[in-house]
Amino acid sequence: MADLLKFSIPGKPEYVGVVRLAVSSAANCAGFSMEAIEDIKVAVSEACTNVVQHGAQDGNCYEVECRIESDKLIILVTDLCGGYDTEKYLEPCIEKPKESGLGIFIIRALMDEVDILSTLGVGTKIQMVKYLL
Amino acid sequence: MSLQIVSSFDQDKNFWKIELSGEIDIATAKSFKDAIDKAYQEQRNDIMLHFDHLNYIDSTGLGVIIGALSRMKENSNRIQILNPKQNIKKLLTITNLDQILL
Repeated sequence: MADLLKFSIPGKPEYVGVVRLAVSSAANCAGFSMEAIEDIKVAVSEACTNVVQHGAQDGNCYEVECRIESDKLIILVTDLCGGYDTEKYLEPCIEKPKESGLGIFIIRALMDEVDILSTLGVGTKIQMVKYLL
Repeated sequence: MSLQIVSSFDQDKNFWKIELSGEIDIATAKSFKDAIDKAYQEQRNDIMLHFDHLNYIDSTGLGVIIGALSRMKENSNRIQILNPKQNIKKLLTITNLDQILL
């Protein structure tokens, strides 16, 4: 049976660190190595940063769910911030580094599976999976 | 979960030494940016970022460095990261920023 942890967080910069701590702790409970915990922490933090940067109004909460299964950890970050066109996302380029756009790239590099579902006018869900080796 | 910044200019070697400790994320990236901008406006030289005691940096912090680098380009100044911890080194490697910052 999977264990489900749910957090609701105000979309303010000062609380992204709180999510990092909570998710690191959940990943530790799930039995991940230090390096994997670090990957999970960075990926989730990037997902939360995206929410806070793109649209979360003060006081608007977003949700983070951690599902601990026997062989993996599934993390879902859900916001109701209006969504965006995922087709328009451009991968960062080493020749021309930009100040933004790194977040999603980092998430994809660190997690085993990443699904982004954004509905324009509604919000975005990012599901990230990390397998226990 | 905060960020401490100590900036000093090395008169002999002609570069900025900025020592960071704590975490750079969306909550602290602004003070990181302000420290770099303040230093560079005061004296246009290379900047050495000492990461010995920095535990965490995310895309907003990396974005600050990239932004500063592009403003320093016309004067051919550079930014270098010294002694990053293993987790930060990994992030620099996957974003390819190790090639320009390490």
